Amino acid sequence: MSKNDRQHPLVEKMREQLADGRCGRREFLRNVTLLGVAAPAAYAMAGSILGKSLVPAALAQEGAKKGGTLRVAMQVQKMDDPATYSWIQMSNQTRHVAEYLTLTDAENITHPLLAESWEPNDDLTEWTFKLRQGVKWHNGDDFVADHVKWNVERWLDPALGSSNAGLSTFSAMVEDSDDTKKMIDGAVEVVDPHTIVFKLSKPVLSVPEDLYNYPTMILHPSFKPPFSDNPVGTGAYTLAELQVGQVCKLKRATQTTDGKPFTYWGDEPYLDEIHYYHFDADNQLTAFASGDVDTIYEFSIEQLPLAEALPGQVLEVRTAQTLCCRMQVDKPPFDDLRVRQAIVKACDNAAMPALVFQGRGDIGENHHVAPVHPEYYQLPKLERDVEGAKKLLEEAGKAGLEVTIDIGNTDGPWHQAVAEIMRDQLKDAGIRLNINVMPASKYWEIWTQTPFGGTAWTHRPLGTQVLSLAYRTGGAWNESHYDNPKFNEALDKAEAEVDVEKRRELMQPVEKILQDDAVMVQPIWRPVFTIINDTVQDYVAHPTEVHQFNKVWLSA
Amino acid sequence: MAILILRRLVQMALIIVVASFLLFLIFDTDAFKKKTAIAELGGFGVSSLSEADYQKWLDEKGLNVPFYQRYGKWLGDVATGDLGRSYEKSTAVGPLLLDRLKNTGILAFWVFALMIPLSLVTGVLAGMREGSAQDRTLSFIAVFTTSIPEIATAILLTVIFALGLGWLPAKSAMIGGFNWRQLVLPVLTLVIYDFGYVARMTRASMAEVMTSQYIRTAVLKGLPFRHVIVKHALRNALIAPFTIIVLQLNWLLSGVVVVEVFFEYDGFGKLLLEAALFGDIYVVQACTLVAVVIAVLSQIISDVGYTILNPRIRFA
Amino acid sequence: MATTFDARPAAPPLLDRLSAPKAVLILVALMWVPLTLYVMAGRNLGVLQPYILLPAIPATLILYVLAVRAWRESWTAVIGATLVFFWLLMAVSAPYLPLLDPNKPIAPFVLPFSHGKVGDTFFWLGTDFKGRDMLSRTVWGCQRVIVWGVTATVVAYVVGTLFGLIAGYLSGWWDELITFFGNVLLSFPVMVLFIVVLNYLGPSGFNIVIAVTFASAPAIMRIVRGLTLDIKSRDYVFAAQTRGERPFYIMIFELLPNVRGPIIVDACLRLGYTTVAITTLTFLGLGLQPPDPDWGLMIKEAAKTAMLFRFSYMLIIPALSVSTLILGFNLMADGLREISLRD
Repeated sequence: MSKNDRQHPLVEKMREQLADGRCGRREFLRNVTLLGVAAPAAYAMAGSILGKSLVPAALAQEGAKKGGTLRVAMQVQKMDDPATYSWIQMSNQTRHVAEYLTLTDAENITHPLLAESWEPNDDLTEWTFKLRQGVKWHNGDDFVADHVKWNVERWLDPALGSSNAGLSTFSAMVEDSDDTKKMIDGAVEVVDPHTIVFKLSKPVLSVPEDLYNYPTMILHPSFKPPFSDNPVGTGAYTLAELQVGQVCKLKRATQTTDGKPFTYWGDEPYLDEIHYYHFDADNQLTAFASGDVDTIYEFSIEQLPLAEALPGQVLEVRTAQTLCCRMQVDKPPFDDLRVRQAIVKACDNAAMPALVFQGRGDIGENHHVAPVHPEYYQLPKLERDVEGAKKLLEEAGKAGLEVTIDIGNTDGPWHQAVAEIMRDQLKDAGIRLNINVMPASKYWEIWTQTPFGGTAWTHRPLGTQVLSLAYRTGGAWNESHYDNPKFNEALDKAEAEVDVEKRRELMQPVEKILQDDAVMVQPIWRPVFTIINDTVQDYVAHPTEVHQFNKVWLSA
Repeated sequence: MAILILRRLVQMALIIVVASFLLFLIFDTDAFKKKTAIAELGGFGVSSLSEADYQKWLDEKGLNVPFYQRYGKWLGDVATGDLGRSYEKSTAVGPLLLDRLKNTGILAFWVFALMIPLSLVTGVLAGMREGSAQDRTLSFIAVFTTSIPEIATAILLTVIFALGLGWLPAKSAMIGGFNWRQLVLPVLTLVIYDFGYVARMTRASMAEVMTSQYIRTAVLKGLPFRHVIVKHALRNALIAPFTIIVLQLNWLLSGVVVVEVFFEYDGFGKLLLEAALFGDIYVVQACTLVAVVIAVLSQIISDVGYTILNPRIRFA
Repeated sequence: MATTFDARPAAPPLLDRLSAPKAVLILVALMWVPLTLYVMAGRNLGVLQPYILLPAIPATLILYVLAVRAWRESWTAVIGATLVFFWLLMAVSAPYLPLLDPNKPIAPFVLPFSHGKVGDTFFWLGTDFKGRDMLSRTVWGCQRVIVWGVTATVVAYVVGTLFGLIAGYLSGWWDELITFFGNVLLSFPVMVLFIVVLNYLGPSGFNIVIAVTFASAPAIMRIVRGLTLDIKSRDYVFAAQTRGERPFYIMIFELLPNVRGPIIVDACLRLGYTTVAITTLTFLGLGLQPPDPDWGLMIKEAAKTAMLFRFSYMLIIPALSVSTLILGFNLMADGLREISLRD
């Protein structure tokens, strides 16, 4: 950002850390872009420090061809109100019509989109966003800062029930008044038509990332749900047809709603149309196999041999998606720490990837922070200790323990495979594990209540985001009823630290406490898979499975 | 006759009222509302709602209205042709159901177009000479095909014609518009399962006619066998199969579920299953309504047809 | 019991004695009770579990011999019985056959008649997507479908017969009421009824029994009602009435034995339908639940992991297995009808 005469002090620090190897390239890029350095500049910076040229993968496009229709197999869902979307699939259908202020790519690096640049103050409590000029809505209006303000105010209206309100950025814009949360006056300030300032009640580093959380699409103030009836956005595509459960067709936007010519503000995308065809998760790969579609939303590990046997390219992304076989620490027999520790010790997480994911994925370490998270602190490797487990059980007077785990296979049959392997492993320590398999919908009814259950957790860019939701006392999704003031305190400290190096150091106690308290067996970080046929070019698979097709093109 | 039809129609209306009432009662349980919420918002989404938020969500969906009121309103709406809105698909149920019924109708048309001649010919050929080798072979084929469940037939056909020979597509999602090649496997699956049953009924009816006095007399008179069959036997032998065939409509509404799901064909059966799993009550209601109407109508048609075709039977 | 096991040497008389209704009932109980307990109670059997099916094996074999002997005039019935008893034998002897653990993942996607990458294990029917032995899963897979299928049919019969007898014998408004509710249920297409009932109750074996009862009992009720109306005017019923017997006694001891014949043939057919229903419902996700092996589940799992000619054995094997069982029931029904017509 050459226009910026001022650079955030942390950027300089990051450069030092990159130079002396304390932080990696990816992490450097992620953090300096968050701090307002534009991606090309960040790449250049990293390149000059590391002494080699780094070109972001998506920028190299030789001989890209225009035209064609990309056919995607995915669940086609309704498009009511983007601010209350509850599924990624809905957002994918909308993503190319309405846009975000920012864009986080597959490498976890956040780029400008409708915002042209941003700049936090030194203590990260005030964020100034410069908005792109010359952006037009599909109805012909110019895009201005007031529109952003309208959106943010809407998200923070408790009556709307948008999950955006729970993001750290936006929860730092509300205050409690009379039992309801209300937006703090002046939290969003429009400086000029293309400058907007967010004033936060506490420091937050992840503001640009939060602005790419899937329900944070920027809508036109004339919006009335359902979006599909009046799809006004700023994107390169417009909604041509939606039949829930069947098809969603997007077409290049060439005309405004009142018939005037429309030009997209950014580079013209290559695809003429994007078609989503409805297929259930199980059937997407078979749809691909029969040639009905060019790519799919996702296939599961069970289908990998089938996928590999098909013509096309399998894409695999490392993620922080995982399965937590968590125990409720206030329900017997799991209220006894020794019992939990015995169960955790008797399990061998390191054996799981080979048995369940054909050697793919990362080994989980029972503290729910993934190696792909920037603040991941590597604790000593977990060692299986069957004898130790037996001893603990005897001490607890629970030799010959029998427990039952509820499994809903909410993320596919591999949950059950994990439980079956756990059953075999626990047998060695004299623990009998019964597996209670139930339909996914049933599991979601009881997931916060079952004493011992396998819950799937999705990918989030930061490790602390999950920890604060799931293990902090009173966290919205604290399914294990874990309640440890020391942990809360350690987590608070880590969250408030903006320096990456220090933050990682601060994560050590967080991870250690959670691991030692043996709240869960968290065996594996799973990769996500998708597949493209030979005509699809420059398709980048994303760890949260969001679709970014503006650069995708089809060869003949 | 008119009284009979009227009675059946009144009975149908009564059945619909009772059945739909039971469905509303079932879908009114807290467990079902929760299920709908989970299907729509996801497990994490529902758990992050406070009790008040959840109640608000229910209000929004109109699920907090006491079910007898909703039921009353639904009955009134149905009477005026409004089948309500789908929660999952966020669209009016009427056009949605019509579209899916049209697809199933296409499927059903071809099933009947193939099944009727095939099963009648087989049945007549088998029943013509009861106990002959021809009869035994055809009867065995009929038992055999009826014994393979649709799901197994679907699999075998898919493996052979789609995966093995590559002649036909394995799925019938019709995403590029209507494609007759995608219709072949679902139609064949249903025909293979169903034709055996109708053929056996035809055979039984034919066999009975063949032993009757007048056919024997005709044969003894020295009339050509072919002539006896075509001129005398067929007319009487086909009365029973007619009623059976009409009743297959009812069976088809069951049979299409698994076939449509397996082949990903967007028809009535798939819609019903998806709606039931989602807890999409108005769609389930509408599907049940249609199913019951079709079932009862087919019974009425079969009864009336039987009466007309068979002059010996008179309803009081 | 005594009649069952003494006097071994004299073969034909023994078979004759075993063919007595009482002996057959005992044999059926010997086969059926352990199998049902094994499948429904499973682990709760404790130390008994490994041994409980042992007496069922000879009982099944003897019953097969008796069935073939009784039905020897009809080839159709003999072939049908052979198919059905083959699967029954597999069901009761599965724990004692030299099979791999059906739930243990070994090596995924091993083709039939080959060794996995592991080397030493030879897989006759290959392995599935999780690497579980297909042969073992196919053999074990018949247990649940047979037990739940038969149980569901029996329960549907008990309920249907009871209501049929009441409606037919008592007439009046009992008849009107029962017939109306029967008609309500009958006007639902079967699958619609299954989906609605199972979706409400949740998928499980016990709930399949309930759903099948809802779907089948009305039809059975109709048959029994018709038969009862026909028989009720006979002399022996009149005699019992004048003796002052209670209606319930008359229904059970006078009417029921006389409507037995047509019901048995219908029951065989219905067993076939129920097996189809269970497999189909399990495929749709409304029936039996994993992890224990079941043909419907095998089809469901393979339908999304094995849609490739090379892997199609995973689909074909369970599909053929379930077809042979149903074919067995249907042929048996056909044969029995043939025999009853000849008598």
